Amino acid sequence: MIFLTVGTQFPFDRLVKLIDEMSGQNGFKEKIFAQIGHSSYQPRNFESVPSLESHLFAKYMREASCAIGHAGIGTITMALDYNKPLLVMPRLKKYGEAVNNHQLDIARKFEQDGYLLAAYDVGELPAKIEKLKSFVPGKRQSQAKALAERISIFLNELSKSKSN
Amino acid sequence: MVKHRRKLRICLAASAGGHLSQLLKITEDRHSHDIFCITTTDMIRTKLQKLDKVYVVGESNRQHPIRTAKVLFKCLKVVLQQRPDVVISTGASVGCITCYIGKLLGAKVVWIDSIANVERVSLSGRMVRYIADLFLVQWPKLAEKHSNFEYVGTAI
Repeated sequence: MIFLTVGTQFPFDRLVKLIDEMSGQNGFKEKIFAQIGHSSYQPRNFESVPSLESHLFAKYMREASCAIGHAGIGTITMALDYNKPLLVMPRLKKYGEAVNNHQLDIARKFEQDGYLLAAYDVGELPAKIEKLKSFVPGKRQSQAKALAERISIFLNELSKSKSN
Repeated sequence: MVKHRRKLRICLAASAGGHLSQLLKITEDRHSHDIFCITTTDMIRTKLQKLDKVYVVGESNRQHPIRTAKVLFKCLKVVLQQRPDVVISTGASVGCITCYIGKLLGAKVVWIDSIANVERVSLSGRMVRYIADLFLVQWPKLAEKHSNFEYVGTAI
């Protein structure tokens, strides 16, 4: 199964529509399941839902052979957690898909470091999907501990000052 | 001997999705404090089962001022009721709103700018910068931009 996910806050018809068209032309050997948010385009060639509860989102990601999505951090984090090959297409401000172009920066950065593949417009998608089949994502060493510790230090200091 | 420390009441504020998943990854020590959460949709409730209380206030962003005003009032109600000692947030607008309300009511503010902001600190972050007691960024280059920005690592 290929998991297509585009977040929930803004529509992302550009990506959903192209994947649906490719799917209609038998561009995929595997079944697709999609979480399409408030996209106004309704795919005809695969099953989709507007949003998924977080545990179900995790389940689909875990069961997928690979994922295609917007360049959202939630999507990227979970794909990395489950070590799944991920192809992202960044949402762009000019199409009303996001409030700014931060997804462009994040896609470039994570692509550069070998964690995912990125397509920067729909024209690049078919070739990148082909590449995704053999893509092995780099393993990311989480640094969450250092950040968590820094916050703990702050909280401990605060807690001490409160009990004085 | 370790001095007895008072339990803190902590408010985690972040929109559902990437912002919240980053926040949960760095606040794993959930037993030593009373923690509640303010977020934007119901879909993540199962993820937050371990927390005492979850308040869902709805989506807000700068393109929808009326919706944002509603969210602001809901956040105000929660913060007035809960009176947190500290607000910890990764963004976006719901985080920014809660940080300001918290600060006005005497809470400390910890801001972790989302890893999604590579070249520049988020708009919410730039607003919270003035009131944050701890401001963490997730890209080393961003820490150079302001003396109060700290880089210690990333959430993912």
